[in-house]
Amino acid sequence: MPSSFIRRALAASFLLVAAAAELPAAAQLSAQASPVVTTPRVRAELMAYAPDGVAPGAQVWVGLQLQHQPQWHTYWKNAGDSGLPTELSWTLPAGVTAGEIAWPTPHKIPVGTLANYGYENTVLLPVPLTVSPEFKPAASLTGGSASVDVRLKATWLVCRQECIPEEGSFTLKLPVQGTTALNRPAFDAAFDAAPAPLSRPGQIQVEGQQLKLRVEGLPASAQGRPLEFLPETGEVVHNAAVSGKDWQQAWEGGTWTATYPLAEQRSASPDAMPVVLALAEPKAGDKPLAWRVEAPVSGNWPATAAPAARAEVSPALQAALKENAATAPATTPFAASSLAMALLGALLGGLLLNLMPCVFPVLAIKVLGFARQSGDHGGHRRAALAYTAGVMISLLALAGAMLALRAAGAQLGWGFQLQSPAVVAGLAALFTLIGLNLAGVFEFGRVAPASLCGAQSARPLVNDFLSGVLAVVIASPCTAPFMGASLGFAITLPAGQAMLLFAALGFGLALPYLLAGFIPAVARLLPRPGRWMQTLQRLLAFPMFATVAWLVWVLGQQSGIDGAGALLALLVCLSALVWSFTLRGRARVVIASVLLVCTAVLAAGIGPNIVQGTPPAAAAVAGAQDRWQPWSTQRVAELNAQGRPVFVDFTAAWCVTCQYNKKTTLADAEVLAQFQSRNVALMRADWTRRDQAITAAITALGRSGVPVYVLHVPGKAPVVFSEILRKEELSSALAALSP
Amino acid sequence: MSKLSTSADRSLRAARQARAALTRASRRAIMTAAVALGATLLAGSASAAAPAVGQPAPDFVAVDTKGQQHKLSDFAGKYVVLEWTNPGCPFVQKHYNSGNMPATQKSATAKGVVWLSINSTERASGDFMQPVALDNWFKERQAAPTATLMDPDGAIGQAYGARTTPHMFIIDPKGVLVYAGGIDSIASARQEDIKSATNYVNQALAEAFGGKPISAATTRAYGCSIKYKAA
Repeated sequence: MPSSFIRRALAASFLLVAAAAELPAAAQLSAQASPVVTTPRVRAELMAYAPDGVAPGAQVWVGLQLQHQPQWHTYWKNAGDSGLPTELSWTLPAGVTAGEIAWPTPHKIPVGTLANYGYENTVLLPVPLTVSPEFKPAASLTGGSASVDVRLKATWLVCRQECIPEEGSFTLKLPVQGTTALNRPAFDAAFDAAPAPLSRPGQIQVEGQQLKLRVEGLPASAQGRPLEFLPETGEVVHNAAVSGKDWQQAWEGGTWTATYPLAEQRSASPDAMPVVLALAEPKAGDKPLAWRVEAPVSGNWPATAAPAARAEVSPALQAALKENAATAPATTPFAASSLAMALLGALLGGLLLNLMPCVFPVLAIKVLGFARQSGDHGGHRRAALAYTAGVMISLLALAGAMLALRAAGAQLGWGFQLQSPAVVAGLAALFTLIGLNLAGVFEFGRVAPASLCGAQSARPLVNDFLSGVLAVVIASPCTAPFMGASLGFAITLPAGQAMLLFAALGFGLALPYLLAGFIPAVARLLPRPGRWMQTLQRLLAFPMFATVAWLVWVLGQQSGIDGAGALLALLVCLSALVWSFTLRGRARVVIASVLLVCTAVLAAGIGPNIVQGTPPAAAAVAGAQDRWQPWSTQRVAELNAQGRPVFVDFTAAWCVTCQYNKKTTLADAEVLAQFQSRNVALMRADWTRRDQAITAAITALGRSGVPVYVLHVPGKAPVVFSEILRKEELSSALAALSP
Repeated sequence: MSKLSTSADRSLRAARQARAALTRASRRAIMTAAVALGATLLAGSASAAAPAVGQPAPDFVAVDTKGQQHKLSDFAGKYVVLEWTNPGCPFVQKHYNSGNMPATQKSATAKGVVWLSINSTERASGDFMQPVALDNWFKERQAAPTATLMDPDGAIGQAYGARTTPHMFIIDPKGVLVYAGGIDSIASARQEDIKSATNYVNQALAEAFGGKPISAATTRAYGCSIKYKAA
């Protein structure tokens, strides 16, 4: 293949290039005596300056010259906020000792909020060698003049944006007699670049988080000019401080003063600081360019570790601490007990969901199924498991999707499916079909093509699974007691724990059916099959139609009377269509096609009303019951500012619990009288359709679905009531208000 | 009910696909939102100076390499170690390739300490690593932090005055900064030096758990400059 050929050719040429590149490196390795090491970033050379040879008392300098590639730098003795100083370690003959590096004046290299001290371009780090009288030059084996072997192992960190630690070994032979002055210009430049020592010590005083510097004896040539402050001691000052902004300097005649900030995380508290002051704007001919001054430090360094008692903990953290202390005795990670409580609550909530009017019909269908296949225990078990799986998987999927949506910022709440008119209409159609089936208008076996009929018997498990899914879809709007609290709790949890909570909820929902499937005793409580079954089936059609009625009413709330009317018309068409399929022969073809056309025309004509119909204005609701005003956060704040308590009913047409509370507790004459006597403003927030402001308000109250009942009393935290609003609960809260 | 089942099947499949797409889309959105949130929380303190040892540690929210959110104040009641890191830095490599940092992490987390590795390298830097790549790099070296946090905007790093990689901070259960500085006492990029160096983090945690004051509470942080995003 051509591609593999190209790849091989490329590899071969790459090897050649690599081998070629390897050559100089190999040559360098073999020539151990080289004074030069070259890397892609620096060229380093060991140099010497011994104008009078190597003898006791003679001036002998050696040094490492670093030539940096553009943008690369190495570091000064105080590297600043990062980096490392270059290190030199010498191997010298007996009697010869190396001194400290005479560091040339560095540059301050700012890196954003940080700063380093170092060198760019070319720098020579000179080191004086001291030759003692004990030094005995080794006689040359070849009979030539004696020489001194100078060996250096150097490590340096070279950085641009990235940093590379590099090292090199260098060797140089210095003639004992004779002059080594080839590199004199480089040494002269290094000596010129070194700061000139000042004879008079400077003064440094610590004042709070600042250093006050005072330096006298600087030459007239420097006076009045801005200086750069370069401390040799690291870890004391805020290196990135900018003159004129973060630190100030001034001249008073020949005295230079400055105020320089300390580092926030200072790890050194020296008694004396040697500092280098360099001309910030050097001009050609300036010599020297910098001065070095030792300054004793007076005043007290601020404590680096303040006693913990003095530290002020932020209010948010304080709250978190308190909360953690309240829920967990010591350092237990997550409040395991409260999680267990929430799980139990979710389980109970799931159980209760079975009794909700929108779920019970599903359970009823399932029970009917058991009655039909009474005696087939294995089948019951499988059915129970499939149903449980259906419930739990779809609940988890729903919860996962909701968590993802919520996290993504979509302001959605529980029950959001029923906020979409299309979903409501779809469910109404589904329940109509189920109702018609139960009422005996048609049998599913006849509707389905023959090929699918065969599949049906093999797929009871799928049916059971799907009825589990159905149970969840319908259960979601019925935010029963426990469930709201569990959900509110779940939303604050990490995804894993939240999912666990939803799993518990699903398990609770599936539990009665699961028990019935597994424990024959429970299953045996179910009546034996008989003639009553058909009666029961017909009877169960009515809860289905009741559910349809409720769904149509919900849609009416969302899309108005036109939408609800359109839905009803379409449901009638659908029913007729389904019935027509049960006919036989020519009649079936004719009637079915006529009805099909009718349904299509009707759906195209008035269908959009279902989805797009204008929602009935909240004002209409408010107008009918002028006691209740439409809710808004501003209005609540306004009324609270006037000193009026505000009671808010977060509700939705599709929320059965909401409607129950509305007709009972909230319609109670005594309660209403109490509201009036306490001058409580009543507001209703209708969440039948999606509403960002309401979703946000509910979330702020720690809930994720309706109903939510809250009493805002001026100057107090809002009081949230339980979801099944009891009259006593509300009364006692109202009684506590001053009339 | 077979007709119902097939249509339900189909809609189930459609729903699954929609959910998958949503998860993909939302993961990115969550990330951006959370980082923005973290930055917002810090907006107040960003202008303020970095905390000194003994002062309250600034709270923050950050997203880890797995997309999970972490909030410092959620760990109230525990010691928290913050480790600034960048696999591109030879000083970080020194402590990971030698196994020193993973060992320090393991011994700390075994005591119940929360260990957060934080990467404040800006996206434009050559050292920047995508969360997955970063995670893999750590995994290959048996790193054991509680979480690895992405801070490409440098908000957390700036709030703590983190300068180098590595740069270590320890926060006590009350949320007070009790240690700031280097991982150990010998500033070099050589692995051989680890043996003879004092591991300041181990020392500080041992003292803290022993009820003793931390003897070296502020030390020199050495390493590469953090590649912060230009302000």
